Amino acid sequence: MITDRLLSGLVLLQVAAPAATLAAVGLPAVLGITVRERGITRIVGAGFTIALAAALAALGILAARGFTPHNVHMGTWFHVGHHEATVDLVADALSIPFVCFSTGLCGLVNAFAGKYLHREPGFTRFFILLALFGTGMNLLVLAGSIDVLFAGWECVGISSTLLIGFFHDRVAAAAAAVRAFVTYRICDAGLLAAGVVLHAATGSGDFERAISGGWPGGTCLLSPGTALVVALLLIFAALGKSGQVPFSAWLPRAMEGPTPSSAIFYGALSIHAGAYLLLRCEAILEAAPLAAWLLVAIGAGTAIHATLVGSVQTDLKGMLAYASMTQAGMILAEIGLGWRVIPLVHVISHAVLRSLQILRSPSALHDRHELAAALGGHPGPDGWSLVRVLPPAVRTAVDHIALERGYEEAVIGRLVVEPVLGALRAAAAFERRVVALLAGDVPPLRRGGDR
Amino acid sequence: MSDSDAILAALGVSIAAPALGAAATRWTPLVRSARTVAVTTATIALAAAGLAAWWWHHGNGAAISRGDPLAGGAPVVFDGLTALAVPYAALVQLAILVAAPKRALDGEAVPRLLAGGAATLALLATAHPVLLVLLWVATTVPTFLSLRASPGGLPAARVYGRTMAVAVACLAAGCLFLVRDPPWRPGHGITGDIGGWLVAVAVMLRKGVFPLHSWYPAIYASGAYGTALAATMAHTAGATAIRLLVGHADGVAAELVFLAQAALVTTVYGAALAVVQRDLRGLVGTLAMSQSALVLAGLAGSLPTELCGALAVWISAGLSLTGIGLVAWAIESRAGSVPLDAPQGRADDAPALAMFFLLFGLATLGLPGTLSFIADDLIVSGALDEQLHAGLLVILSTVFAGIALVRGWFTVFGGPAPVDRPRHPILPRERVVFTTLLALLVGLGLWPGPLVTSLERIAGSLLASRHDAPSSSLPTDPSGGHPP
Repeated sequence: MITDRLLSGLVLLQVAAPAATLAAVGLPAVLGITVRERGITRIVGAGFTIALAAALAALGILAARGFTPHNVHMGTWFHVGHHEATVDLVADALSIPFVCFSTGLCGLVNAFAGKYLHREPGFTRFFILLALFGTGMNLLVLAGSIDVLFAGWECVGISSTLLIGFFHDRVAAAAAAVRAFVTYRICDAGLLAAGVVLHAATGSGDFERAISGGWPGGTCLLSPGTALVVALLLIFAALGKSGQVPFSAWLPRAMEGPTPSSAIFYGALSIHAGAYLLLRCEAILEAAPLAAWLLVAIGAGTAIHATLVGSVQTDLKGMLAYASMTQAGMILAEIGLGWRVIPLVHVISHAVLRSLQILRSPSALHDRHELAAALGGHPGPDGWSLVRVLPPAVRTAVDHIALERGYEEAVIGRLVVEPVLGALRAAAAFERRVVALLAGDVPPLRRGGDR
Repeated sequence: MSDSDAILAALGVSIAAPALGAAATRWTPLVRSARTVAVTTATIALAAAGLAAWWWHHGNGAAISRGDPLAGGAPVVFDGLTALAVPYAALVQLAILVAAPKRALDGEAVPRLLAGGAATLALLATAHPVLLVLLWVATTVPTFLSLRASPGGLPAARVYGRTMAVAVACLAAGCLFLVRDPPWRPGHGITGDIGGWLVAVAVMLRKGVFPLHSWYPAIYASGAYGTALAATMAHTAGATAIRLLVGHADGVAAELVFLAQAALVTTVYGAALAVVQRDLRGLVGTLAMSQSALVLAGLAGSLPTELCGALAVWISAGLSLTGIGLVAWAIESRAGSVPLDAPQGRADDAPALAMFFLLFGLATLGLPGTLSFIADDLIVSGALDEQLHAGLLVILSTVFAGIALVRGWFTVFGGPAPVDRPRHPILPRERVVFTTLLALLVGLGLWPGPLVTSLERIAGSLLASRHDAPSSSLPTDPSGGHPP
């Protein structure tokens, strides 16, 4: 009983600590009070340290109990009629190790960014967004209901968008942020709809009403039809966050953000949020084999696509972005194949390696020169690639396709974006004419129309 | 003095204060600072409205009515809807007056805003058909005059004036038919049906519902932000729909279904149009139209979740869009019109305004921890429970609205800024207003329990009144409790 209470308190602390730092750093900014750089990094760092300590303690308790899942019912947030939004967190073999890893990484990036962004005009903004991300990520990981998971998911998406556009004076950064947000927003609709379907099917968004048993190896309690619909919607949501085909175009552009945020978002945590979502709902995926095989196909296809496109990139961060996309695709394929622990290990190992690579990327040339100096000459030829065994003509064709990023953007642009924007611009122009007509056939009102 | 009398006295003060303020600033030459008078009277109105609502909530929660009812609709009604809508409208009015740029509150602007505000508060506290018609006129005239006085606002004034004239005519004719032949009575004739449809058309016109919406973005495009916000954010058409239609859904079911479907289309259409707007005014106007229609779509629903969601959107979208509109007004007053066809780079010269615009935008999008998150959750769940396509349309509108807002923020504030551009620090009064609105959005988002309970009670009484309606005439308490 005491252990249960202690565990509940520790789980709560993992969300509350970064949330408190968000308030502590964000409120002065809203009120126009300036806080010194060192104070900001210490406050945010303290939040992540407390959360990490709580997560490690919770991991110890959980391990001692044989990783029996522990649900933390924090009460009902609000309810209307049969619709109930509960605040439920869960500590199990999936969530707590993931929080240890994600919070630890956030803490490291906090320490790194404190030096890296010294005297940067948006210093405070970066740490506010980092705290928002940390809160959102822990909420997402510890969520025991799809409502809580969606709240965390949204925090991650918004902080990611704003960090991509961190250097908002650069037009490319602003455009990349909008592109990422558009993708997120479209795919988030899948998660929102999945939540509503779960509510309709079970009367609640709690995972324990849809899945029985602990992780891994839970049993889906939904009917096969509902399971298929929910699984497809969850996959749709995961594709956007994980930068999978056909929603991958935003990911290489997301590297416009500061290096520390690129490392933690697109090398480590945000890109794996989709994988985490699917791991959390693995039982639903298992009950919908059609959706699982679709996931395998998309994941494998994205891995091949990203490998080929990544091989022709001319900048390091772009190459790393495609490398992340490849691994994320493989992880999703593994989840679709029904593996559980391997994808989790893959996520953690990939995240640690990739964030290190991205954090080191600004000094890559320096590293290369140091290596050459130490070796007394050029380090030697680059690594081997499967593409090299192809005949030269095929290799050239593949390279051309890769240079065009697999024509993914062109196809989406031609088939979806242009028709939609064209229709909307036509509608806006029609609106202007209607207003002019109603006003007595005078010239259109100033500026209120299409672009 | 009984509790009921005290509540009605407070309500009377909240309506009389801005009316007196309007008279004082219009006809008293001794009044030097119109803004001081306006802010003082609007503060009194908010305090009195808040006190009345608090008193009512802590009493027995029964609807209070005074005066001889016409077809069941009493001239003065204090019920759940009044307790919610009057303090909200008073707050919006005060926010506009405090945050308005200095030059926007000169001459005739203050008396018009106050007179329109007083009429709006009165409209939200009546169910009497004749008074509703008169107050529609009283709320419309100041807006029309303000639009006509705005530079370049004459076309929008014409559009607005013509639309509202038709709306008032429809409402007057509809009320007449409803009074003569209530369609919720057994054995009613075609007159009552026509009346119901005329009221529905009037609500569509006043609410800016597709395809009768053209005036809505037009007044944002050409009028002062304060005029447009005051005319649209109080949701007077929504209140009228509740008084005349929603409480009698069994008798006007077809009208309500039509209203709901048209409002859903408007929600998506407005949000989609916002994506391709080429200036900030267009963006704010189309988004306001979309969110305003979402309120109506939910009000016409038949599930408590949906009705609660609509009432929550009423408050959340109203507060967040008022914030966005006021920030946009502040930017425009400093830097002129804000096109969206190329990055404007305004974050460096107005960092605080950029922050508040972003925060209000996120609050509109349904950032977790804000009231909009709760409102979206309720309305999407309710809509999906009732009709799959309705839920999907609501989700689609949130997608478009989100894209439009984020694109708008990065276009207004992103991009390189000229080095010689002057900086525009935020004024203390602006910071106070924006912080207060944000605090409300976040506070009600983190602790939604009391508000949602209150909304559920209003929704419950609305639904109950629908089932009671066929055997009675217009009830005096369509949104809360029983008459004393």
